[in-house]
Amino acid sequence: MTATGAGTVVRPVRATTAADGAIVRRGQGLQHGGWFVAPFLALFALFVIWPLLRGLYLSFTDANISGDGARFIGLGNYREALKDPLMWDSLGHSAYFTLLVVPCITVLAFLLAMLAHHIEHGTWLWRLCFFLPFLLPSTVAANLWQWLFNPGTGMVNHVFGIGTPWLTDKSYAMLAIVITTLWWTAGFSFLLYLAALQGIPAHLYEAAELDGANAWHRMVHITLPMLRNITGLVLALQILASLQVFDQAVVIQDFGPGPEESTRTFVQYTLEQGFTSYRVGYASAVSIIFFVLIAAVALARMWLLRNREEGGR
Amino acid sequence: MGRPGLNRRHFLAAAGGLTVAGSFGFAALGTGADALASDAGTRVRYWNLFSGGDGYNMIAMLDAFREDNPGIDVKDSTLQWGSPFYTKLAMAAAGNRAPDLGVMHLGRVTGFSPGRLLDPWDVGLLAEYGVREEDFNPELWKRAVVDGKLYALPLDIHVQLCFYRKDVLGKAGLLDADGRMVPVTSADEWFDVLKEAKKATGKGLQTIGLWVNDQNFQWWFFVAFYTQLGGTWFDDTRTEVTFDTDKAVQVLEFLRRHITDGYADPGFGGGAGAEQFVNGAPFVWEGNWSVPVFSGAELDYGATPLPAVFGKPATHAESHSFVLPHQADRGGAANEGAHRLAAYVVQHARQWAGGGHIPAHTPTLSTAAYRELEPQNEYVTAMDHQATEPKVWFAGSTGILAQRVGPIVVSSTMGSAGPETAARRMRSTLTELLATKNPMDGRTAAEGGAVA
Amino acid sequence: MTTTAPQVRVEPRRNWPPSQIVLTLVGTAVSVVFLAPLAWALFTSLKSETEAVEVPPHWLPKEWTGQAWSAVVESGNLTDWLVNSLVVSVCVTAVVLVVSALAGYGFARTEFRGRGALMGVVMTGLMISPAVLGVPLFTTVQQMGMVDTYWGMILPQCAPAAMVYILYKFFQGVPRELEEAALIDGAGRWRVFFTIILPLSRPSLAAVGIFTFISSWNNFLWPYMVTNNPDLMTMPNGIATVMNSYGIQWAQLMAGGLMAGLPLIVVFVFFQRQIVAGVAHTGLAGQ
Repeated sequence: MTATGAGTVVRPVRATTAADGAIVRRGQGLQHGGWFVAPFLALFALFVIWPLLRGLYLSFTDANISGDGARFIGLGNYREALKDPLMWDSLGHSAYFTLLVVPCITVLAFLLAMLAHHIEHGTWLWRLCFFLPFLLPSTVAANLWQWLFNPGTGMVNHVFGIGTPWLTDKSYAMLAIVITTLWWTAGFSFLLYLAALQGIPAHLYEAAELDGANAWHRMVHITLPMLRNITGLVLALQILASLQVFDQAVVIQDFGPGPEESTRTFVQYTLEQGFTSYRVGYASAVSIIFFVLIAAVALARMWLLRNREEGGR
Repeated sequence: MGRPGLNRRHFLAAAGGLTVAGSFGFAALGTGADALASDAGTRVRYWNLFSGGDGYNMIAMLDAFREDNPGIDVKDSTLQWGSPFYTKLAMAAAGNRAPDLGVMHLGRVTGFSPGRLLDPWDVGLLAEYGVREEDFNPELWKRAVVDGKLYALPLDIHVQLCFYRKDVLGKAGLLDADGRMVPVTSADEWFDVLKEAKKATGKGLQTIGLWVNDQNFQWWFFVAFYTQLGGTWFDDTRTEVTFDTDKAVQVLEFLRRHITDGYADPGFGGGAGAEQFVNGAPFVWEGNWSVPVFSGAELDYGATPLPAVFGKPATHAESHSFVLPHQADRGGAANEGAHRLAAYVVQHARQWAGGGHIPAHTPTLSTAAYRELEPQNEYVTAMDHQATEPKVWFAGSTGILAQRVGPIVVSSTMGSAGPETAARRMRSTLTELLATKNPMDGRTAAEGGAVA
Repeated sequence: MTTTAPQVRVEPRRNWPPSQIVLTLVGTAVSVVFLAPLAWALFTSLKSETEAVEVPPHWLPKEWTGQAWSAVVESGNLTDWLVNSLVVSVCVTAVVLVVSALAGYGFARTEFRGRGALMGVVMTGLMISPAVLGVPLFTTVQQMGMVDTYWGMILPQCAPAAMVYILYKFFQGVPRELEEAALIDGAGRWRVFFTIILPLSRPSLAAVGIFTFISSWNNFLWPYMVTNNPDLMTMPNGIATVMNSYGIQWAQLMAGGLMAGLPLIVVFVFFQRQIVAGVAHTGLAGQ
């Protein structure tokens, strides 16, 4: 999503001659190129672009789920949405979740990767253990932790000898979802870190060792700088995924909004508006707001990356 | 590269190709298989929302119907309960692809644009098949009538119950001579009962589970006790909120006291209440659908309607009912088949009672077979004291009303809002909802003509 | 304690310096934490429903019983859902592979009018998912009459901009000289694509395929929105909606969950290297 610049900036220097070849056959290429991308573009237009445009249109109407009798109501939905405390609450919950999950998961994944990377024996075993939860469907992971957090019969409270009302008290409910998410998805970022660690050239460490750098210095001066790009990637992927959190949050709370409505996420809010209240127009407006938000985050990252690259040159 | 390697690769490729081809074939068939089978004389398409034990009972009743009516081919589809079911039904009705017969919670009927998304029942035809108004509880029948027409045929009543363990209550001396829980007529008596029961309760168990943090259950309990106090919601024209905050405060304080007096542990707020009950907690307030669960666990237990702590007995009730989703060309054999099927199931609901529900067809209730069912025979009186949500478009099982007001009740029960504040907030939410237009037809409750 | 350990194992000492022992112990402890929830699920599934909710909880069943597993299998739902999951994931993976390989190549190596602009449009697709635009997407699929059908579940998962982008970057990295020769020999774009490019990109395609399969197999949100008929549900959806509504049957719920997770876990154990490479590759490609 971001490296379009990076890829094309470097490439043309080497590729000019080859590109000429393609240009010679331009007429042919035009047809063929079109055919190559056509199947994808057809699906893309039907299931990505059309819903986006349709959502935009519906957001200005009072359409209901039955699909008929929609009237144009201008900015009414947007005006209502911005005034709706429930929308702001659910946006807050998703943001809060993101704020908790993203740093935790990044640090956890990094530590796990360091561990697996530095143990010389049985790498495959550690990899298996840490990555395994990610292979479970989200709903299974959530059911499992709902059971683990169960007040009377749950293992979490039993093992730690505590009586925390994890799922039923608003001060813990989101925390329980965060813990579930950490366990379930840390494995993915862990793999990215592990791959990146394994990609650091060994000679860098050897040289540093000759210079008498200790383990700490090697970590600060070689490992961490070499992991900067991957950390940026992990952060971006996690932020975008966390803002869209839905599965774990609803399943662990039996499809409800959590104790005192403390875990209703933004996605959940849009679906409730559309499918429980039948207000498709309003739900579309809220979805568009969400889309703008997500796009802003993605664009911000692109901008940051570009700035950094320019600064680095 | 040797021969075996090549063979294995070929084999894998072939297997992979077959899987892909098979999957596509399956996917292609999945959309069309339904249309292939339609040779029987009359075909009735029937959508219901019953899974688990209810689903099992429903299928048994359908099979019995098929045996008695070989000329009618019933094509039943079980859909997942909850909001998605209503969404689909609404879409199908709006898109004129509606089934011939559907199931719906009675409280939802008003919000479902009767006349637009639902077709009225032909009462004459129903009578021909043996279903008459006088065989139903009058209050129940009234709820099914909108603008003078019958839009829903009630199948059952399901109620909130006070489940109790006879072994624990026996130890606490709270059972009468028949082995049933001593009757309770005031809040003080109720808390005395809890106090005694608590003494006889095992370690690590709460005294009562009442879903303290669940917006649906807390709302249902509120409706029950608020009705016991004689509280009302709106005036007859649906223009004025008549919600009585003083009465509401009384109810909210009563619910809250279960926690402050240490009988309900917020930690066991949700479904854990039922687990505690299985483990030996003396009380749990649950829907009657828990009957098969507790009976399956072979507990020694009983169940009464929610205690009449404010004098007049009333317990929250909702009903499954049959509806006719709107079809532009409703009529003919399929429509008659739908009438016949609904009438049959309603009259043969003895099996349905196994799921804990009270059959709506009263002659069933007086049969010997029903009177032998335990604990169903103990709470059958609940149908005479139904506390129901107001008859407005935003009400009904897990509807907008419960979604908006339920959390306020929870906030009071859990103690994060005072009862007075919560009651005021409930009132203002009700006012707001009354002014809100039904997204399905753009009319408010007052304009909706929802008054029978 | 740590001092005695190396002395006991005199022989493999070189392989086991103290730092390695400490790290291995830490690794083991962390692994136990990661695996304990799964072990708990397994033990729960082997208890009777009544024993499962006993207070206080205990790890091992006092009476081992397979009743939860047999009940889950007998109900039949779960096997249907497994088949549905397989059908949906296989179709999605196949379509995604074909479509995004073609598109990635088309964008990377062919010329046609509006290529740059189209690529930009595809990039916006990275920000759109059923989570973001669920309701409008649903109404679109509803218009097409595909609610509660396999195609309704499959097709909307078949336009992943991310996979096109990953393959686009890969094809950009393929040396042009390889194509040149064939093009000069008079081979057309299609032949170049099938005989030269595709064989080269097998690892990337495997990566995309594996990643697509895992995410489709585990996808919950979209199938949840678009299916309501239990006979058509996929595994994650069926477990979350139908099984959860049966009430407090934790042993069965855990058995069902393990059954849902098992296929991928088994596949993972056998193809660990490829899957790890695949996931890391697709992830890293977004860098």
